[in-house]
Amino acid sequence: MTEYTPTVQGTGARATIQRFGGHLAGMIMPNIGAFIAWGLITALFIPTGWLPNEDFAKLVDPIIKTLLPILIGYTGGRMVHGQRGAVVGAVATMGVVVGADIPMFLGAMIIGPLAAYILKLVDGFIQDRTRAGFEMLVDNFTAGIVGGGMALVGLKAIGPVVEVVTDWAGDVVAWLVGHNLLPLASILIEPAKVLFLNNAINHGVLGPLGVAEAVKQGKSVLFMLESNPGPGLGLLLAFMFFGPRLLRPSTPAAIIIHFLGGIHEIYFPYVLMKPRLILAVIAGGAAGVLVFIVTGAGLVATPSPGSIFAYIAVTPKGGWFGVLAGILAATVVSFAVASALLGFGRGADDETEETGETSTEPETSSVVKEA
Amino acid sequence: MASIDSKDIHKIIVACDAGMGSSVMLASQLRKQLKGQQIQVEHTPVNSIPADADVVVCHAGLAARAKVTAPDKVLISFQLFIGDPAVTKLVNTIKNGGTVDA
Repeated sequence: MTEYTPTVQGTGARATIQRFGGHLAGMIMPNIGAFIAWGLITALFIPTGWLPNEDFAKLVDPIIKTLLPILIGYTGGRMVHGQRGAVVGAVATMGVVVGADIPMFLGAMIIGPLAAYILKLVDGFIQDRTRAGFEMLVDNFTAGIVGGGMALVGLKAIGPVVEVVTDWAGDVVAWLVGHNLLPLASILIEPAKVLFLNNAINHGVLGPLGVAEAVKQGKSVLFMLESNPGPGLGLLLAFMFFGPRLLRPSTPAAIIIHFLGGIHEIYFPYVLMKPRLILAVIAGGAAGVLVFIVTGAGLVATPSPGSIFAYIAVTPKGGWFGVLAGILAATVVSFAVASALLGFGRGADDETEETGETSTEPETSSVVKEA
Repeated sequence: MASIDSKDIHKIIVACDAGMGSSVMLASQLRKQLKGQQIQVEHTPVNSIPADADVVVCHAGLAARAKVTAPDKVLISFQLFIGDPAVTKLVNTIKNGGTVDA
């Protein structure tokens, strides 16, 4: 292992956090198509949209408040206990959906897997005690009873608690925005992102809060905190001009995949191999957020993947200036800081030798040794 | 140390966090590079690597999780999403025959 290849050993805590975050994101990400459908319908047909249409706009509320939480609860249940878990997860999610004023994404992320887990325990207990021939009867009624019961629990217990927590989190965000402190979020977000917590942060935390805000205000800046492609673009541009010579040829393709394709993972290795460059993406991210706030920019839905095309698609009418200015600011700042940290190409030749070593010897860089 | 002869490789799984982004990209690259070989290349989330995988390919930052979900599989971890030497080596070994080990 060289300094360019971060070790994979001794990262138990990181893997645990990743795994937990992976579960959160795993409930959202398979359903992104539905989110995009909602985002497009909203952007087009609400009264302030591109093609205002009263009939079509009736779709907006039921999709965000009922369909999307149920899909999340269904997917969360399926992750825990297969198809049966998915069904009780969906039923239980109805409990948190009914009577709530906000989109119950967080509630669905809790009650869907929880209901499925309870059914899993029940199934494990009852399976050996069921007489031959009664399996179908027992299976259907245990699922029905657990699902129905959890819907009641959701309505009376989990829903109200989640509503309070969401309101509280919304107040914290509003306070941060009001005091111009939101750019500081980049100090946490950018390093976590390159440690592959990107989906967990964006889809597990910021997305659900952003949706709650977007329903009230028509747009939210929270969707853009993690998904801004600017910092990564600036970093890759700096590598293209000033990076180690061996890495330069691969960067144009990486830029296309990152900025147009929206797969941000492509730039994480460039940060991991030169960890001090984390300062560049933090600075770029913070600059972007600052511009977003100053211009009052926001998106109507999560841009996923974080491609410039997805950004344009979910930008509300008339909001392009702030969104594009924030991406541009993030790119420029990240590029400038990264270029400076790379010494504007000076010393690139020395570093060629070091990186050359890792690139030509797969044994040292890329094969995981048995722990 | 897990290892497998290139002739016995029938299914390669490329894993990433969500199984929707970077793994799909790398899987389609691998599929092109392995065209003509009788090898299936699929992508999944790193938390749900299927049991019938012969070789698992994932980024070094996720390798610790892949080891938990697929402890006895041959695991190739890489650093770069484009042109990583470990991935190139895997492709070459499959094409020319030999043993893939992790």
